[in-house]
Amino acid sequence: MINVRLFCSAGMSTSMLISKMENAAKERGLEIVVDAFPEAEMAKHLEDVDAVLLGPQIRFALNKAKKLCEPKGIPVEVINPMNYGKMDGSKVLDQALNMINN
Amino acid sequence: MNSKFTDRIETVLMPIAGAISNNRYLLAIRDGFMLSMPLLIIGAMSLLLANLPIPGYSDFMKNIFGTGWDSFFRIPFNCTMNIMAIFVVFGVANSLANYYEVDGISTSVIALVCFFIITPFSMNFTPEGSTTAYNVTGIIPLDWIGSKGLFVGMFTAIFATEIVKVVAKRGWTIKMPEGVPPTVAKAFSALIPGVIALYAFNMVRLGFSFTSFGTIHEFIFKILQKPLTSLGDTYVASIVANFFMQLFWVFGIHGPNVVGAVTQPIWLATSADNLAAFQAGKELPHILTQQYEDLFIQLGGSGATLSLCLSMLFLCKSEQCKKLGKLAIIPGLFNINEPIVFGLPIVLNPIMMIPFIIVPLVLTTICYTSMSLGLVPKPSGVLIPWTTPPIIGGFIICGIKGAILQIVEIIVSFLIYLPFIKMVDKQYYLEETTTGETKEAVQTC
Repeated sequence: MINVRLFCSAGMSTSMLISKMENAAKERGLEIVVDAFPEAEMAKHLEDVDAVLLGPQIRFALNKAKKLCEPKGIPVEVINPMNYGKMDGSKVLDQALNMINN
Repeated sequence: MNSKFTDRIETVLMPIAGAISNNRYLLAIRDGFMLSMPLLIIGAMSLLLANLPIPGYSDFMKNIFGTGWDSFFRIPFNCTMNIMAIFVVFGVANSLANYYEVDGISTSVIALVCFFIITPFSMNFTPEGSTTAYNVTGIIPLDWIGSKGLFVGMFTAIFATEIVKVVAKRGWTIKMPEGVPPTVAKAFSALIPGVIALYAFNMVRLGFSFTSFGTIHEFIFKILQKPLTSLGDTYVASIVANFFMQLFWVFGIHGPNVVGAVTQPIWLATSADNLAAFQAGKELPHILTQQYEDLFIQLGGSGATLSLCLSMLFLCKSEQCKKLGKLAIIPGLFNINEPIVFGLPIVLNPIMMIPFIIVPLVLTTICYTSMSLGLVPKPSGVLIPWTTPPIIGGFIICGIKGAILQIVEIIVSFLIYLPFIKMVDKQYYLEETTTGETKEAVQTC
């Protein structure tokens, strides 16, 4: 079971990505759980997480996120803005999978 | 657009955005308010239920529940809006303590006690019909633990937490004599941060009691909170705040998040002022409140993109715009517009950034003017979630005229966005159909 956490300002826009990513994963026969939370609560939501993705509008929080995630061995990246804008679950899933496999 | 130019602006904006968003005090304040917001919304909505602007409502309620029925709804209001400084102290201290990795709860309790230490437990009361003011003791005046105590509350939480953190990091302990079990020593050491914090604040209280202000509450309110809320209530403040919010967005940074760190405490204070006046049936003092910003300026999301979304959905020819319009309309109704901001995109788009920055400035001019002239009532100060759909939101805060104002805004923003989105749509349509033709040509060859 792959666990991906998305963080943005209020967790609202990223939550729209959740079902899109999970559907894309289902089509590929992958088991994945995606959750979205406000960036302010990141420290509370890092248990059992394989990858953390940040909404591009809070990319200035990347360093802070890295400080929280890297000690736990969790890769952090900013979601590609175009994929985020188009809510392209499949492409964001690709990004997450790339992060996990590298 | 000259990418060197945008790069230069970005190198200036990013550090500012980063500095503001990563500043631990602003973060703690933001978190502290986030903790309080659900409660404040419930309280404010309760007051609304006591005062629904529907004719015949209050008589209807009186007939069923008797006179004084509205006190049922005033109580949640009293216990939230009128004591908000308390949760803010708790929330801010808890957040800052967690940042410093010291215990959140015990630090928050210490901060809360410090807040009470500098708050007077007495007030002057003039009974109705009398001219003598009696000094009543043994009470906690609601006056200073509601929105008027916001700034003192935030500072108290920060300083108290700083004291606790310094004590913890320096590891000050009480040296116990030999033979005393370590747990006992620890129990005494746990007292140190509290003792230092409480007595530090006690000294502050004492100091201010000798001044003409009497308490630090009076001082901060007169010197800081009142001027800042007055400044934050001006047309210029709205223009400046919105300009920067949009500018940050154009570079892909969450504008309201950054600018809000500064404006939120101020506009929450103005909301509370308005709500208190609303409850007392007095004239509403402020125009700019958080709801003014959320519902009238960020209509459909930052940049008032709801009308843009409708244009894309119904008036555009390119697949990209139509698909994005379809995707973004539902979140847009709830004032969420990242799909459009990043998907159109508006970010770094030289054509779309123009209306995106201009529209909020035009809208705030319209709104501020109509409220100043009394054409539309000022926001009642009732706190509602920023995701409340347009027309409904306007109605809740400003009655039917608020809803009409929002409709006017949708029309105005629609007209401003139209030429720009048409330009972008034409460009995309051309790209889509040309690639199609090239594909066909290749296949027939």
